[in-house]
Amino acid sequence: MGFTITEKILARVASREAVRAGDEVLSRPDFVIAYDFPGYTDVIFKQMKDDFGIERVADPKRFALFIDHMVPVATPKEEELHIQTRQWGAAQGVPVYERKGIGHQVSAELGYATPGAFAVHFDGHISQLGALGTLAIGLRRNLLEAFVNETVSLKVPATVRVNLHGRLGTGVMARDVFHHIVRVMGPASCAFKVLELGGPVIDAMSIEGRQTICGQAMFVGATTAIVNPDQKAIDYARDRARIKLDPVCSDPDAHYDKVIDIDVSQIEPVVVIPPSPARTRNLTDFIGLPIHAGYLGSCASGRMEDLRAAALVLKGREVAAGVSLHIVPTSQAIMSQAAAEGLIQVFSDAGAFVSSPSCDYCFGRIGTMTAGQRAVSTGTLNVPGRMGSPDSEIYLCNAAVVAASAVAGSIADPRPLLTGVSG
Amino acid sequence: MALENITGRIAWIFPEEDFDVDQIVGVKNIKITDIDELASLAMKDYDPDFARQVRSGDVLVGGVNFGYGHPHYPPLRAMRHLGIRALIAESFSPGFWRGEISMGFPMIACPGILAVARRWDTLTIDWNRCEVAVQNGPTLACLPLSSADRSTLEHGGLTGYLKHRASSARQGETL
Repeated sequence: MGFTITEKILARVASREAVRAGDEVLSRPDFVIAYDFPGYTDVIFKQMKDDFGIERVADPKRFALFIDHMVPVATPKEEELHIQTRQWGAAQGVPVYERKGIGHQVSAELGYATPGAFAVHFDGHISQLGALGTLAIGLRRNLLEAFVNETVSLKVPATVRVNLHGRLGTGVMARDVFHHIVRVMGPASCAFKVLELGGPVIDAMSIEGRQTICGQAMFVGATTAIVNPDQKAIDYARDRARIKLDPVCSDPDAHYDKVIDIDVSQIEPVVVIPPSPARTRNLTDFIGLPIHAGYLGSCASGRMEDLRAAALVLKGREVAAGVSLHIVPTSQAIMSQAAAEGLIQVFSDAGAFVSSPSCDYCFGRIGTMTAGQRAVSTGTLNVPGRMGSPDSEIYLCNAAVVAASAVAGSIADPRPLLTGVSG
Repeated sequence: MALENITGRIAWIFPEEDFDVDQIVGVKNIKITDIDELASLAMKDYDPDFARQVRSGDVLVGGVNFGYGHPHYPPLRAMRHLGIRALIAESFSPGFWRGEISMGFPMIACPGILAVARRWDTLTIDWNRCEVAVQNGPTLACLPLSSADRSTLEHGGLTGYLKHRASSARQGETL
């Protein structure tokens, strides 16, 4: 019987000939990634020294720190946290990246997502590195283990294989595909397992689309998500990769916990209604619901395809009176590309607020809503209070829906305004 | 080191699927750090008398995919402050599971628990037999903890576990 890509990657980093789902291993991450955030990095730095007497991490080049939350800073205390991060990185020889964008995206751009690599973070959205065949797992506070040991304790997860077939319709984007997966499989369908994506739709999908789907894996309960690296992934990673690894793929006779086939041809654009990411609904059932804010950005969206789709909708149109539309490209590289393509001008002319990359819109630190307000958002999450008041509401949807709704002042279907946007 | 079996009264049952633990203290209170204040707010929307009725050693019972969403730490900190000692659920959302195990909070997945649990009845978690015995009810098989999770609970949380790992490594033991 063959092995899954997950088993192959974990066998290598556990220095074993082979591992199987269910085995408990100590595995050495190729990359240890974090953004600075109170209660996480500051605590890890302190505990490392005070509780474990460790002055320096082993092999600092494996580590990467990002400053992407609390950007730009709004209080002296926030700046103090960033200063501490910069100083810690400098003292350790650990790179600290800032003004480059949202770390989960920039990790891919900077070659921390080499096919076949194993990466850990505290934040589960790091799973999006799976788009490039990297096994990337969010450990929450257990990330401390990777700072005080070379290895982390892990139970090799079983894998749920999902094959996507068919053809995406106009105005149906990767976001819709992911939320459809939640809808048909359920929010606990991959609990403690890896979601391995494949099939002709994934083969045809861009790296960006795969990042979007893989990054949200936690909402089907998955430990992470991964796509077997194809030529597209290898081409993306080739000149960026920080370590040389042979890409690995699941064997044709690998053992899967479940294999699920989903036809995407019938998928319509969706909204995910409050109060939880488990609640995928048809967009068409919510047309006309008034909104006060639109947010296009986050590690889950805000990439070129999202921005291009929004620009198609917004070109020659204006954001409705009383609506704030925040458009936040996910990285500086994406922002520059958007500028080169003239998209920023389209957004500006439409009356959108265009911001440099930051995580802060996604969790309501800025662009904050008050009670009774409602947003359409490509952010990661729609739980109450995520973007401001606990009595405000978030409807998650794709970038084109955000743009069309911002123009209409209420939830709107972008399809009449689009031609040929998919994937 | 042995994990002590836990016997306690069921102080509350959350039957909801995909239960978002932030509801325990209310989303608007999630940033409160004062533990007494948090504890005073816990369960207000469910049972205003909860804090008065709960006592040290009580346990909680939950449904399927308990802890789904974007779980924060304050709700269970508040529960522990009120004396809650363990949580038994049909199944857990992995992020929540990982986070609370790292805090050293005893939890076990016990399929079938909702059907037999009644508020204020007593139950016992037997870690070695990997089962939960419900007072005047059946004994249910539970999902085994990984050895790392079990060791984390035995050592009172992540820091204790990692210190144990370090000292075991020094002594050349396998974990």
